[in-house]
Amino acid sequence: MAPPPATFERRVLRSAAGHHYLRVRLELPDGGARPNAAQLKQLVVAALRELHGEVGAALPVDVLTYEEKTLSAILRVVSSGFVKLWSALTLLGFYQNRRCAFRVLQFTCKSWRQS
Amino acid sequence: MSAPLRRVQQAPRHLLVCEKGHARHPRSRHAAHVRDHAYNCRVSILIPECGILPEVLKSTVADFGVYYLVKNLSVHELVAHEFIDSFVKKGSCYALTYNTKIDQDNTAALLPTGKLILSVDKDTYEELGLQGRPSRYSGKKAMRYIITIDLTDSDFHPDGKKHKRVLWALKEKKPLEFDFLMAWYNTGMLRIPLSTELISLLGAEGSTLMSYFPKNQIRALKPKITFSTLRDLQCPALQSNELEGKPEESCSTEELFEWLGAVLNQVNLDNKSSSFISTYCCPQPNTTVDQAFLCTITGFIIPDKIIQLLEQLCSYFSEPKLAHWLTLTVHGFADSPVSWRENEHGFHKGGENLYNFVVFRNLDYWLQMAVGTNDDCPP
Repeated sequence: MAPPPATFERRVLRSAAGHHYLRVRLELPDGGARPNAAQLKQLVVAALRELHGEVGAALPVDVLTYEEKTLSAILRVVSSGFVKLWSALTLLGFYQNRRCAFRVLQFTCKSWRQS
Repeated sequence: MSAPLRRVQQAPRHLLVCEKGHARHPRSRHAAHVRDHAYNCRVSILIPECGILPEVLKSTVADFGVYYLVKNLSVHELVAHEFIDSFVKKGSCYALTYNTKIDQDNTAALLPTGKLILSVDKDTYEELGLQGRPSRYSGKKAMRYIITIDLTDSDFHPDGKKHKRVLWALKEKKPLEFDFLMAWYNTGMLRIPLSTELISLLGAEGSTLMSYFPKNQIRALKPKITFSTLRDLQCPALQSNELEGKPEESCSTEELFEWLGAVLNQVNLDNKSSSFISTYCCPQPNTTVDQAFLCTITGFIIPDKIIQLLEQLCSYFSEPKLAHWLTLTVHGFADSPVSWRENEHGFHKGGENLYNFVVFRNLDYWLQMAVGTNDDCPP
């Protein structure tokens, strides 16, 4: 026998997202060798360690997508660590002694749209 | 915990409204929610266990209509009675400023209900001299104001004081000029069965926007449509009656929402928990499907077309199908001054206002509506 149709239900979730997402782009103006995904992740961890110490460096951050050509990536971080991650990326100035900067293009906690 | 430490761990406010219902229920609000969300820039359809565009969608996708880019259009032309009588009163007219940032620039939008919304900075508001209200999200010191003008109001006739004041403010006091994205849907034709003769007539009716504006100012554009087939996709198992999911049996609505975002952004779902780069994987329980069809439509998409699409997706299940569910995701413009109905929308850090339908085989549906920090709760 077919199950009965679903009854109406509405739930409002306020600030309940477990993770937040940042679309970032790494700027490396010197035009040298580009980092790969693992190197980018290492850079993010190093930025967190520099500003927030070992506890900050242990923050679970995922590099969901990475495009080496444009140096843009989507990062996923647990919601309680979002401020730490963004502040660490903002204050990061060097990658392998080369000047660099992270630009946060978009931030959200929901299903993304592509640029 | 001290206040500064607490603030470090606080993420910005956001809302996710999840509704469940049945598409054929007489009081179902799914169409109303779509209609209330006027400005849509991207529609994505994901159908598991499907490799090509289904027959039911072919006609709707092939004829998705056109929208228009009107350059350097003065806002006072939208309050001219010729425009109101030709378009605003005779159908659903949508207009939204193009390439303006809601948190920095002046923005304008025309809703299909005939309301013209101007979101302006403090200086422009004081120069315009029209009555408005401070933005709800501009803080203690109001730096942004919202002016709403009802073009279909009985008091807003050509000889009335209201119309004269608005026209003077927008034409002489502080002329505002923008590039607009526009679309017009003649709602009078909706009740007639769409024969081929009428479809061509609809096209002719739609082109009156082209004939209203000078040729060098207006350009007709077609939404961009792309298809792709995803192979070996892990899909979460869902039960239409269980919004919160059931442990070991089905996933929750939030898990599905996150998974769908990953799929639409081509994120790898097959990571191990020990992986250094990413540990994200498909929520459990899940099944792997051989193929899934993904269709993306980008442009200035009006709600009436989305309702048509949703109806066709419901009729996809009128024949037996392998898929248990399919999804329809709609993204709103990040820089639109309104989200649902006339609710004010702000960018804050993301500008998200989007919704997602999950339609099940038995026509149960889930609807998730998501907004960011500077937004009201969706209706």
